[in-house]
Amino acid sequence: MFKVTFQVQGGNTVEAFANEGEKILQIAQRSNVAIDAPCSGNGSCGKCRVKLLSGELDSKQTRHITDEEYAEGWRLACCSTVVGDVTLEVPDIASAYRSRMKVADLSSGEEVQIFENSRKQVIDAGIEQKNNMEVLDVVMNVPSLEDTMPDNERLMRAVSRETGIAHVTIPYSVMVKLARVLRDSQFHVKCVVRKISSDVFIYDIFPSTEQVVIGGLAVDIGTTTVSAILVNMVTGEIIGKASSGNGQIRYGADVINRIIEASRPGGRKRLQDAVVKETINPLVAEMCKASGFKANHIYRMSVASNTTMNHLLMGVYADPIRMEPYIPTFYKTNSLFASDIGICIHPDAHIIVSPNIGSYVGGDITAGAFISMIWNRPETSLFIDLGTNGELVLGNSDFLISCACSAGPAFEGGDISCGMRATDGAIEACTIDFETMEPSFSIIGDPGTKPVGLCGSGLIDVIAELYINGIINSKGKFIRDGRRIKHDKYGMGSYVLAFEEDAGSVRDVEITEVDIDNFIRAKGAIFSAVRTMLNYLDYTVDMIDDVYVAGGIGSGINMRNAVNIGMLPDIPQDKFHYIGNSSLTGAYMELLSTSAEKKVYEVASNMTYLELSTVPTYMDEFVASCFLPHTDTRLFPSVTVKND
Amino acid sequence: MPFNRKAHKFSASIGTVEIGTGDKAIKLGGENVMPFYTFDGSMGDGPKVGVEITDLGLDAEPQGVKDYYAGCTSFADIAKKAEAMPGGDFVVLRLAGGDPNGANKSTEELVAIAKEVSDAISCPLVVEGSKNVEKDAELLPKVAQALEGKNVLLMSAKEENYKAIGAAAALAYNQKVGAESAVDINLAKQLNVVMTQLGVSAQSIVMNTGSAAAGYGFDYTISTFDRVRAAALGQDDKMLQMPIITPVASETWSVKESTAEESDAPEFWGPVEERGIAMEVETAVACLVSASDAVILKHPKSVATISEFIKSLM
Repeated sequence: MFKVTFQVQGGNTVEAFANEGEKILQIAQRSNVAIDAPCSGNGSCGKCRVKLLSGELDSKQTRHITDEEYAEGWRLACCSTVVGDVTLEVPDIASAYRSRMKVADLSSGEEVQIFENSRKQVIDAGIEQKNNMEVLDVVMNVPSLEDTMPDNERLMRAVSRETGIAHVTIPYSVMVKLARVLRDSQFHVKCVVRKISSDVFIYDIFPSTEQVVIGGLAVDIGTTTVSAILVNMVTGEIIGKASSGNGQIRYGADVINRIIEASRPGGRKRLQDAVVKETINPLVAEMCKASGFKANHIYRMSVASNTTMNHLLMGVYADPIRMEPYIPTFYKTNSLFASDIGICIHPDAHIIVSPNIGSYVGGDITAGAFISMIWNRPETSLFIDLGTNGELVLGNSDFLISCACSAGPAFEGGDISCGMRATDGAIEACTIDFETMEPSFSIIGDPGTKPVGLCGSGLIDVIAELYINGIINSKGKFIRDGRRIKHDKYGMGSYVLAFEEDAGSVRDVEITEVDIDNFIRAKGAIFSAVRTMLNYLDYTVDMIDDVYVAGGIGSGINMRNAVNIGMLPDIPQDKFHYIGNSSLTGAYMELLSTSAEKKVYEVASNMTYLELSTVPTYMDEFVASCFLPHTDTRLFPSVTVKND
Repeated sequence: MPFNRKAHKFSASIGTVEIGTGDKAIKLGGENVMPFYTFDGSMGDGPKVGVEITDLGLDAEPQGVKDYYAGCTSFADIAKKAEAMPGGDFVVLRLAGGDPNGANKSTEELVAIAKEVSDAISCPLVVEGSKNVEKDAELLPKVAQALEGKNVLLMSAKEENYKAIGAAAALAYNQKVGAESAVDINLAKQLNVVMTQLGVSAQSIVMNTGSAAAGYGFDYTISTFDRVRAAALGQDDKMLQMPIITPVASETWSVKESTAEESDAPEFWGPVEERGIAMEVETAVACLVSASDAVILKHPKSVATISEFIKSLM
């Protein structure tokens, strides 16, 4: 046995013991040392860098490590095995998968506006914004020697009288504080209750003098990014909003690798902890801290996530999802509570899970399709959710058909060397001058924030601008020379967005041909899915009245550029609408409105699922789409490349 | 009811690419119908047959090929004899010895051979590289330079090296260039698009969309032909209207049907050379009736048979 010491930069030191030949990455994962490994450790992403401080490793230098870096001691954890005692420095960047949690500033109003608009649309569609949670004002007789009824019966009778419902449940959490609260308030209290026709459930009890807000939590659990909002369940007011990377990323960038990891011994617990303890609970804590709210005043939670994510959230055995005939444990579930899975809110809080409709079309899409309102219009619309899994829903008030394609994490900045989520320092929009090839940016954060990397919307802009200005060809290879264009010793080209001295990071911010290639495949997956689905229905693009694009990829997408790179069909710009993170908005509406929750279930059960892998032409469409803008340029008549 | 023949006409046609100079120059492509549907329209000048020789000499060749070239002492002799082979329309020099994993001959040596061959013949010449993308990127531009003015076809530019080969062959020295892709209609088209973006005109490109010996994943080759042609003629896809050339000999003469000695093969297989010819002929016929505007063969019997086959269908 040898000793492996991990010194986490700006953090603690962890010692582990390992046998000769064991991989550093595996030892780190076993010892709970966070190292980013989106490719699951097959040496392709180059993100699992560690620095050798003392001792030796049997390690392969890959194309991700330059000669100088190798000499400085940089190694890839997934390509290094133990040969003796060793001390390693784990850079803080390795925990970048958590990507510094972002608590949104709600004062700007833009963020809130999206939710506000959706809420109005939903109400306009005749769906009542009403749920079964309310605050009851209850007055009881003060007990005396003549009136010796115990506290719980006294409360139950009073609540029954108030609501007209005979059966009242007082859970343990209320029972323990009942005596104190009743006496402190002279038997005049406020109760947070859930009222259904047969039962009243008392979540909490307060003296009547207290201001009581029923908190609700809506969470979108994406494969790459988790976003959450804290709301007032009665008024719909948004109290807090936050997002962070999904802590499961270090176990693999896509759902398949996560499922494989979850099947290993102890894996389900590790994956569940990664999303609950390392992701959702810290997000809740941050939002509560920022708004002065108490986490145990959150009495209901609503989750929208893909099928794999909701299985792993619950710690359910997910292996059958990835194996033929691809059967998940559940599509719908209505008996999940916060205490079951360790979410740090009120322990009795019920968790609404948006229904799945297939192994690869989950609750994120049913929630999103609901909020896009395409089910409420006679005209045919297309709804596209740009995520690690790209999902599409096409239809109108008469029919809905959906399909999913694997786009990879590129839209959220994964698999891209300079990629990042849409947080401070991310370039979210870009233009490039044709003559000088100099870029100009819009960067997320306070004025003066230096560029750190590219988020999804920035990537679309940069690649479109590089292409339109003739700097890269249709295959994504560099064909012009200039001071911003570099080639490494393997001949791989890159474009420097910001030189080290202008950047907010320790090296040049640059986009390489490999990044461009990864992104082209992501956009190819989306467009080929659109084409395949339309062909399947004998539709043409001009039969689509509106396109709703969703996804947490930035504050907005330049639709013109999305067409220029061949990601979205070439139809008039005014038909495109960016609706933000629709699965989070959907989860929000399900939280506020019981009718909305019902409607999501209804939309889900009316949706047909098209399995793309069974359509023989899909692969052809995909290869044809892995080109800028497309192999068939007639599909993109409005796209022209500048030349001198 | 009398039979009414309906012509299957297309409004589009395959482009024409001329190789060689003078009287013996040939035109590849030009048809506006499915292969050999002469009753529906024009087949242009018809498909052509190339005669393959290599820089490796004759030692490894089948007996019938050795016999045909008997007495030749130089590449010039071999080239002249190849030009004279009955049924052949052009000569193909395959520089197989350039492969760094094989004989690894130097670029200078190979260019000298190409020059010797080119000077010895008056018919059109096609020069094939070593199939190693790095070597070809260096070798084929030098060949293009050395043979300037001869209007040769250089094979092949692939996705990895099309810039070097396309720029030199077609732009700098005004030769023709073969665009090779691996049995996928979209990859074929993508290569044509980036080559034309480079400035190479569509009239200077001949496609090799992939090749195989019959029975060796050959269905992919044929299905690619079908689809490329259907898109070129049916959808007027300009980026797929280049004529197609298919190397056959280099595929069919290395499979076990063509190489297994009689003693090692099942009894009913028959003499090894007959089998080799049969493989070459079968493969070539299938290519020609599917789309190929030119096939590259090497055995005199195959060349004669295929040339007769083409004549009888035209």
